Amino acid sequence: MSDLTYPDVVQLAVPFFILAILVELGWIVLRRRGGRYETRDAVTSLLMGAGNVAAGIVLGFVAYGFFMALWAVTPLDLGTSVWVVLVCFVLDDLRYYWVHRFGHRVRWVWASHVNHHSSQHYNLTTALRQTWTGTFTLMMVVRAPLILLGFHPAMVLFVGGLNLIYQFWIHTEAIGRMPRWFEAVMNTPSHHRVHHGRNARYLDANYAGVFIIWDRMFGTFVPEQATEKPDYGLVQNIGTFNPVRVAFHEWIALMRDALQPGIGLRARLGYAFGPPGYSHDGSRDTTQAIKAKHLARNPQDTGTEGFSD
Amino acid sequence: MPLHILLILVIGGIAVIAGLLHLLGLSRVTPLTRDSARRAWLRAYPDDPPADILLSDDRRAALIALDRGTGLVWCFGADTVARVLTAPRVTPHRRGLSLRFADDGAPRVTLTLGHDERPVWAKRLETAA
Repeated sequence: MSDLTYPDVVQLAVPFFILAILVELGWIVLRRRGGRYETRDAVTSLLMGAGNVAAGIVLGFVAYGFFMALWAVTPLDLGTSVWVVLVCFVLDDLRYYWVHRFGHRVRWVWASHVNHHSSQHYNLTTALRQTWTGTFTLMMVVRAPLILLGFHPAMVLFVGGLNLIYQFWIHTEAIGRMPRWFEAVMNTPSHHRVHHGRNARYLDANYAGVFIIWDRMFGTFVPEQATEKPDYGLVQNIGTFNPVRVAFHEWIALMRDALQPGIGLRARLGYAFGPPGYSHDGSRDTTQAIKAKHLARNPQDTGTEGFSD
Repeated sequence: MPLHILLILVIGGIAVIAGLLHLLGLSRVTPLTRDSARRAWLRAYPDDPPADILLSDDRRAALIALDRGTGLVWCFGADTVARVLTAPRVTPHRRGLSLRFADDGAPRVTLTLGHDERPVWAKRLETAA
């Protein structure tokens, strides 16, 4: 079954993405609520999305080759039934949760993922502000257990594409809350707005792709607060709309930090693989430090959502 | 999907959305006021309240005097970017002054300044450098 193929659902979804963006924009303009758009920000996001598809075409063989090598050695083959695809989808979403969590807690992976958070807007174009450098992170290894368990690589990539498409519609302020049962199980616009918030309360929360249950299980869930609107973007926002800079700025900064003269091996590793905001001299703030400083200024927030640790 | 169809969709889609946004007036920069500059600064550096704010005449940038140095807030589309200034490279520009930073996420900014503003800003920026 090595020649199994599935459609490239992300490419097929491109017309839907364009149409949905136009609908959201129309809604915002006509209703004068539900989000914001700005031309250069949106164009940058769309170019990042186009670049992500191009990177997939150019570099996709690296991950696929790795997966096929694993497929060649595993004695397991679960077949292609609908149930197997469904289980694969759920397990791949668990895989996404952890890759995404690494993406925020390990600078090497953050260097790739940061561009997705680099817009100060939150609309459907933000969903398409995707990385060009995902292959460099080597996070493809987190998919290895799925292949070794007997899920065909083509199926794993297919459900990964479905996962990405699901996440498109949650990048909007035009939808408030979904029904309670849905908010309890699924990732929603409300949950994901929190994830994109640079507010101290919302940092490093809600890593889910499709099912929010992973965040509830692993203690990273923070509900959106009616009293605190997410402030979108990065802790230190970037000042460029140049997509090449957006794609590579954190990699360059990482290399500059890790290769600077006069620091030891531990510090170099800290800059490359420590949490974003690590510095050998304490001159920068990690999420932990940002939350601690916030609580020093706002002690009344101690123990509330996002500050319970 | 054939590659040429994908290319047409992507390029056409980006062009249509960009054109529409521009025609809807969504390319406009949101000018600063002293209050919005202060808020923009505190949004980025909540532990460093401004001691003084110097707003440019075009309201696209503000110099922030701090206890520990100088900061800059500038308009970035509909939003703002803020940085504590650490040795920026300041050069004259036909529109005012050009600043380069050792910052890969915000490598440069051009400040549009009137002729009477330039010496004041240049001096303040020199101090920051």
